[in-house]
Amino acid sequence: MVLTRDVLARLCRARDLLCEEHAPSVREVARHVEISLFHFIRQFEAAFGVTPRQFRIGSRIQWAKRLLAVGRLSVTDVCMEVGFSSLGSFSDTFARRVGTRPSEYRRRARAMIHDSGMVPHPLEPGCLSLMALLPESGDAISEKRE
Amino acid sequence: MRIKLTSIMVDDQNRALKFYTEVLGFQKKRDIPVGEYKWLTVVSPEGPGDLELVLEPNANPAGKAFQKAMFEQAIPLAAFETSDLKAEFARLKALGVTFTQGPTKRGPVTIAVLSDTCGNLLQLYQPG
Repeated sequence: MVLTRDVLARLCRARDLLCEEHAPSVREVARHVEISLFHFIRQFEAAFGVTPRQFRIGSRIQWAKRLLAVGRLSVTDVCMEVGFSSLGSFSDTFARRVGTRPSEYRRRARAMIHDSGMVPHPLEPGCLSLMALLPESGDAISEKRE
Repeated sequence: MRIKLTSIMVDDQNRALKFYTEVLGFQKKRDIPVGEYKWLTVVSPEGPGDLELVLEPNANPAGKAFQKAMFEQAIPLAAFETSDLKAEFARLKALGVTFTQGPTKRGPVTIAVLSDTCGNLLQLYQPG
């Protein structure tokens, strides 16, 4: 599939809408960017690797991670804040995507946060900072030179 | 001083590994768990084997903003050389890859641009 610049721009706009706090439904987003629902889902997945619905769930989980790490909300409040209506469904989705349940994630994240209130690097790594967290032994970075 | 690592931010490391190996054809070099993420690198089977591309988790908000802005402007974040762009374009298209630009002559190179499905556009180029 070859997407034109115009379609690419529409898909980017749709992605922004799906990230919004009170994101419209996938059907509404498709209408907003003026692409038929069938083509919208197909083209969105082709460009971003996930369906619009999966993308929206993923962005809610990312938002939940931040709130759990630095906010003062309870897990139930976070669940409601990011748009899930059931705590069970939120916990299951969170655990499936992040690998740990929300309460455990919050406990671990808060143990890493000191006075600054900033999310620590291990939770939001960037710019090769993961390298500093690799085990010291072995050939994690490169083979020993002869 | 040597250039041994370069990186590209990806919004899902598992999906990225699948795309960069099974679709693009690179080979996994390292896959080491680091907390919630992993130190994940690939190399080209055409070498050199010690020049690794890190598939870096795009978890940092600053990185996300950068990646998003570049994608919206249709600017590729990495470029890979091929000796037969036309054949590579046909191969990848048959695998379902989405391009934003088919093979196009631009100055000293012919280029094509594709989505890596992990938030980036990649440029393939053939010199000459």
